[in-house]
Amino acid sequence: MTEVKMKLNGETRSASVPPETTLLKMLRESFNLTGAKLGCDVGDCGACTVLVDGMSVNACLMLANQVDGREVLTIEGLATVEYLHPVQEAFETFASLQCGFCGPGVIMSAKALLDENPDPTIPEIRDALSGNLCRCTGYTKMIEAIQDAARILRAKEHA
Amino acid sequence: MNDKLRVTEKELTQEALRDPTEALRVPVVTPPVPYPIETLVPEVRQQTPAVGQRATRPDGRLHGLGQTRYIDDLTFPGMLHAKIKRAGIASALIKRIDTSEAEAMPGVMAVLTGREIPVNSFGPSLQDQPVLCDERVFHAGDGVAAVAAVTEQIALEALEKIKVEYEPLPAVLDPLEAMKDDAPKVHPPASNIYSHKIIKKGDLEKGFAESDHIFEARFSTQMVEHVPLEPHASIGMWDSNGRLTVYSSLGRITLGRTDIARTLRLPINRVHVVATIVGGNFGGKNEITQEPVVALLAKKTGRPVKAVYSRGEEFTSSTTRHPIIMDYKTGVSRDGRILARQVKLYLDGGAYCSWSETTLGKACILSPGPYNIENVEAEAFVIYTNKTVTGAMRGFGAPQVCFAYESHMDDIAKALGIDPLEIRLRNAFSEGSISPTGQVLHSVVVRESLERAAERYGWQESQS
Repeated sequence: MTEVKMKLNGETRSASVPPETTLLKMLRESFNLTGAKLGCDVGDCGACTVLVDGMSVNACLMLANQVDGREVLTIEGLATVEYLHPVQEAFETFASLQCGFCGPGVIMSAKALLDENPDPTIPEIRDALSGNLCRCTGYTKMIEAIQDAARILRAKEHA
Repeated sequence: MNDKLRVTEKELTQEALRDPTEALRVPVVTPPVPYPIETLVPEVRQQTPAVGQRATRPDGRLHGLGQTRYIDDLTFPGMLHAKIKRAGIASALIKRIDTSEAEAMPGVMAVLTGREIPVNSFGPSLQDQPVLCDERVFHAGDGVAAVAAVTEQIALEALEKIKVEYEPLPAVLDPLEAMKDDAPKVHPPASNIYSHKIIKKGDLEKGFAESDHIFEARFSTQMVEHVPLEPHASIGMWDSNGRLTVYSSLGRITLGRTDIARTLRLPINRVHVVATIVGGNFGGKNEITQEPVVALLAKKTGRPVKAVYSRGEEFTSSTTRHPIIMDYKTGVSRDGRILARQVKLYLDGGAYCSWSETTLGKACILSPGPYNIENVEAEAFVIYTNKTVTGAMRGFGAPQVCFAYESHMDDIAKALGIDPLEIRLRNAFSEGSISPTGQVLHSVVVRESLERAAERYGWQESQS
């Protein structure tokens, strides 16, 4: 067993897991954070995307003990009771999710993009979502929603 | 009002005149007044206010919050994880299955083989698919044994300890080969052609005789997997009264319930199927897959059992879109009017029927295309091969034939030197056209749609 201690969604948490456990498995099974999904298990679909130290990663390809001492943000850590993250709000308004299985991953990729680039162009958004697959094919609405969220975030910054 | 009452009295008297056995066929409680069913007929071409407006989904917020619970997100106390061993051989007899080594592994709670399944066959139309193969393997993705263990990892390791001895049989992988009389039978003694449909309209020979040109072409499409982002998942558990609850990513739960009850030889009222949000279906989750397996493993262990397909299993063991070989023969007049069309479709049915009959019907009906053709003959066959099961997928055979007849139209237009848009406008269905099956069509806007699309696309400019 290996001990993993990290800052998870802003709180210091620890878990004791077998060494072969992936970050995704630890999040889902040790912490019951099931927002990140297992889609392909080989890093193709992006349904398991979470942020580690602000970088988007495929949680299915990362071992749990690689996040020891680091900061992990999952979809569950994005919103609070009173406040949806602008990306989540925009995804709801623009009906960007159909079955929703890819949604948490896409939203985390979008969050990583907007943290780095507050005014992304459409090609930049496409590039940021290149690691996330959606089979219901809502890419157009996702891109619209991310642009809208970017606008709102920029307005908040200036206010 | 008075009129209505009078009618009621009259109706009631008539009810009393029925034979008691006939009375069984009417509702137990007769409605107090005759209740006309008002059918809502939308006005043709009326623009409804919904079009062009943004519609939000009621479940959209929880999806975005990551709070929607798909099957794999559910856990129950004491839950075990199941994995299925796949055959990896297209056609073979199972001589022996040795599960003793797997059963002895620490952490393995139960092992299941096909022989333990009460009724080892299911399917939405033909019940030709085993839950787990017992005597014979029909395609490489078939399950031959299943394991329930305390962790997924242990279940996977246990699969490797299960020894299966096969006697390989000749496999048939090409539908045209499989149609031949001397081809190996996938489900002996049954013929490899398991469903057939023919549609005839007019006089084909006369149509070809009157044609100035005859064009022939063969088109074929490939197998397509739905690849829903959420793999097939199910959880089975029993209550103390011997009732089964199955949580499943199934799209058709009532059909699934019937199939689960049948395979487990349970009265249907003992089976409770719970469906939650499905993470993408596209037709691939229209029938049961591993539900009876998790149910039986849960029964053996007395604990909830969950099973989730790996991405690999999604490709090898779930249903796919039918590859179709499509032969078109079309007779046209000098000015590009279609006078006769003969279509032959050979659907690769894979190892089991699944939704092949539906796909066969729809592909056959739609194969002549949306064109006014007086003389039509469309014939379709669906053929067993030792390959992954083909079943329902968006369109049920329509996309395949659409690719073929539209490609064929382009070829004809090119050969006759007619504009591809023009040849379609000359032949397209219009209001009141009669389809090859004799259906009178309403709200037909093929021409308008084509013209509008051509105008917006700038078709004329692009041609000059």
